[in-house]
Amino acid sequence: MERFFQYVFDGLSFGAIYALLALGLVVVFRGTGHLNFAQGEMAMICTFVVWQFHDWGVPLVLAVVLGMVVGFALGAGVEATLIRGVAKKSQAGVFVVSIALFLGLNSLAAMVWGNLPPEQLPSLFPDEPVDFQRIFGAVWRYEYIGVLVVALVLMGLLFLLFAKTKFGLAMRAVASNPESAKLAGIPTSLVLASSWGIASAMGALSGSLWGGIVGELGAGLMFTVFIYASAAATLGGFDSPGGAVIAGLSIGVGEQLLAGYFPGWIGQEMKLSVALITIFVVLLFKPSGLFGSAKVERV
Amino acid sequence: MRGLTAGYGAVEVLHGIDLDVEDGEIVVILGANGAGKTTTMRAVSGMIARTGTVELSGVDIARTGAEKLVRLGIAHVPQGRGTFAELSVIDNLRTGAYSRTSRAEVDADIDRWFGVFPRLAERRDQRAGSLSGGEQQMLAIARALMSRPRLLLCDEPSLGLAPLITQEVFDVLRRLNSEDGLSVLLVEQNANLALRVASRVYLLETGTVVASGTAAEISSDDSIRKAYLGA
Amino acid sequence: MWKIREGSAQHWLLRSIGIAIIAVVVVWVPTQMSSSRIGQFSDAFILMIAAMSLNLVLGFTGQISIGHSAFFGIGGYTAAILIKDHGWSPGYTFYAAAVVAFVVGCLVALPALRIRGVYLALVTLAVAVLFPTLVKWKKLAWLTEGAMGIDSVRYEEVPVWPILGELKGREGRAVFMFWLALIVVVVTYLVCRGIVKSRFGRALVAIRDNETAAAVMGVNLTTTKVLVFGVSAALCALAGVLSTLKSGVVTPEGQYVTLLGSIVFLLVMVVGGAGTLWGPIVGGLVYVWLDNTTRDIGTDSGGILGAIFGWADQSPATLILGVALVLIMFLAPYGLVGLFRKLWRKVVVVLPKPAGSGSSSPS
Repeated sequence: MERFFQYVFDGLSFGAIYALLALGLVVVFRGTGHLNFAQGEMAMICTFVVWQFHDWGVPLVLAVVLGMVVGFALGAGVEATLIRGVAKKSQAGVFVVSIALFLGLNSLAAMVWGNLPPEQLPSLFPDEPVDFQRIFGAVWRYEYIGVLVVALVLMGLLFLLFAKTKFGLAMRAVASNPESAKLAGIPTSLVLASSWGIASAMGALSGSLWGGIVGELGAGLMFTVFIYASAAATLGGFDSPGGAVIAGLSIGVGEQLLAGYFPGWIGQEMKLSVALITIFVVLLFKPSGLFGSAKVERV
Repeated sequence: MRGLTAGYGAVEVLHGIDLDVEDGEIVVILGANGAGKTTTMRAVSGMIARTGTVELSGVDIARTGAEKLVRLGIAHVPQGRGTFAELSVIDNLRTGAYSRTSRAEVDADIDRWFGVFPRLAERRDQRAGSLSGGEQQMLAIARALMSRPRLLLCDEPSLGLAPLITQEVFDVLRRLNSEDGLSVLLVEQNANLALRVASRVYLLETGTVVASGTAAEISSDDSIRKAYLGA
Repeated sequence: MWKIREGSAQHWLLRSIGIAIIAVVVVWVPTQMSSSRIGQFSDAFILMIAAMSLNLVLGFTGQISIGHSAFFGIGGYTAAILIKDHGWSPGYTFYAAAVVAFVVGCLVALPALRIRGVYLALVTLAVAVLFPTLVKWKKLAWLTEGAMGIDSVRYEEVPVWPILGELKGREGRAVFMFWLALIVVVVTYLVCRGIVKSRFGRALVAIRDNETAAAVMGVNLTTTKVLVFGVSAALCALAGVLSTLKSGVVTPEGQYVTLLGSIVFLLVMVVGGAGTLWGPIVGGLVYVWLDNTTRDIGTDSGGILGAIFGWADQSPATLILGVALVLIMFLAPYGLVGLFRKLWRKVVVVLPKPAGSGSSSPS
């Protein structure tokens, strides 16, 4: 029984990190209609930036906040220049550009931080071997609890932003009908860029939390997280922020349970396949996801 | 506007339009499909690129963007309503007031328009997409009015609406014009109805103004009546 | 501007010159260059084949796929398993790999029938990441040798072909691979050209431009999409077989077997010119050249690239390519071939034959 709770606890923390990135994907999709293939790499670069600030002596929490600001700027900048420019010409072009970003950012990270000994990002929370709490007999590390709490708080703030603030209203309006939004006097360009900016900032946080858990940073840091996040967004529905969160947490818990209870079949190496198969199955049978209403299917 | 030229990409649709709307007037643009009526509206509200002179109370707005024009007092109710389907009725209204700063005034206006359109008040928290065509038209107009415009652009408000509802809509427009001094630029297919509320009329044909005058002049002109009013 | 009529003597003269140039290069390389250079050309050929296969699906039919690395890998692994475990002669593995990949390609196409572009990208992403993961799966290690991969996959002795005579040793193998790869390139090109210029090809373009309209005009969306995916997968697998034969090994993290491979194929195709027949060919050459030139930046800074990137810890090759990709998207959506054509048209214009005497191609 303790094993079960162990898997659930760990799964929730990992799932929260996936959910953060998945939320970013959903915000971008709802706000601008695109899938940002480079979401993970943008998060990874921001995590390196966080490390760099910390390396220069900035306290870690402040470094993470700065990293999120940098992330916002990066996301908004990319949208305003590259994405918007190509979107006018072709949808497939946007995808190609995001792949180019994926490659470019990955390469950039390797070039700037590649040859030093692997960068170590400390966790935001106490993570010595003795820092844990026993709940229901399972070990719940402070680090994991911290990750879950921070992620949930951020997601909660995002939901408040959407539902209660004027800017959130603007974002929802632009997502619903960009032309009418312009006619209503909403600064549509600003909103579009901000969608990408917010998503990127969420990614930066996701990366920082993940980096803290993993310890060593590398250019491939966020790739698997991106896959999990994509699976979560697919499962939850690309236009459903709530769906992304629930799906992200579920996938996190699900993979822990499956890997734990079926070590022969799935085990640690095959965990990723859970996410991949999820994508496949969802798109084959219910393309709009569990909670989404996105028009995924052709007319 | 003078010599307004506009189009979509390489296709020029309007070839030099001259049009005036005086304070407190209701001006109607009539014309067959494809004449360029909607294009004219979109050119005025800044949705498409245009060349020529466009002035609002003497201020050149030819190069001003759509969002800014709302602040300057032009509100456009697009063809087909353009409501935010996923948002609630009251949220739709709030979007119209985006560029305004005083929360209290906005709330007061919301109450006012709910008074003018009681059916909207009944459905204040409903998803806008679930409203009927007529209700959505009211909602679209109310949203445009939330920005306290001086000039209201209304593109084919009667489209797809039952005659009774259309009459209601036009009554509202007439009331606003006479009570608040709201200027209206109206595009309509339903010429008869439009002529009853109009002060002046322009007739558009394939991108140019072919006739203009007061409502009385136009409706008594036989050739025009035969072509557009089916009389 | 020089105007010539399609099919006229002048047109044939131009074509002959073009072919002659290519023929000279093709003979020059294996006879005059070092075996490592020859190997680079073979690498380029392999890329060309993969890019041409992707072009069928993405460039001509407009279906986004970043899963072709899986087909590439299927080709490589099929060949390796058949040669190593079952003693097949390498030549026949081409056919087997093509068949296996065709079937898998058709299966992968099934989600494509219902979902829009970007979601299809996700499915193909899943396929691309799933393939190496499956290969490494313990449950399949009996077949795939897991993470270590299969090695010693070669021709026992380089076959003796007419004209080439007997080829011995490393140089011999390199020359042989060159010619083998070139033959597959030519075959792939002819297949693609045949498809594109046929009714099937026009159906593909119709789907790319407007699916609903295509369906209304009588294009059977299901059959067409599934078939083109299958053919594309089969061709890509040929590239995989070549790659395995050339290097002698196939591993799950191998050169184009991972998602990165799919991305490189996409890059090559776009840079060369999506939706054109020669685009992938040009793209393959450019990519291999760029890759080799930038490989040593950072260690010995030479030339312009060294000056810009000397500070970098690692090769800027992918960054350059990423930037190139973005520039192409903005400035030259039809890639290098598209650019070339625009410039070429200022010099020579080929006037099409009067209507009624055959059709002109969509590319």
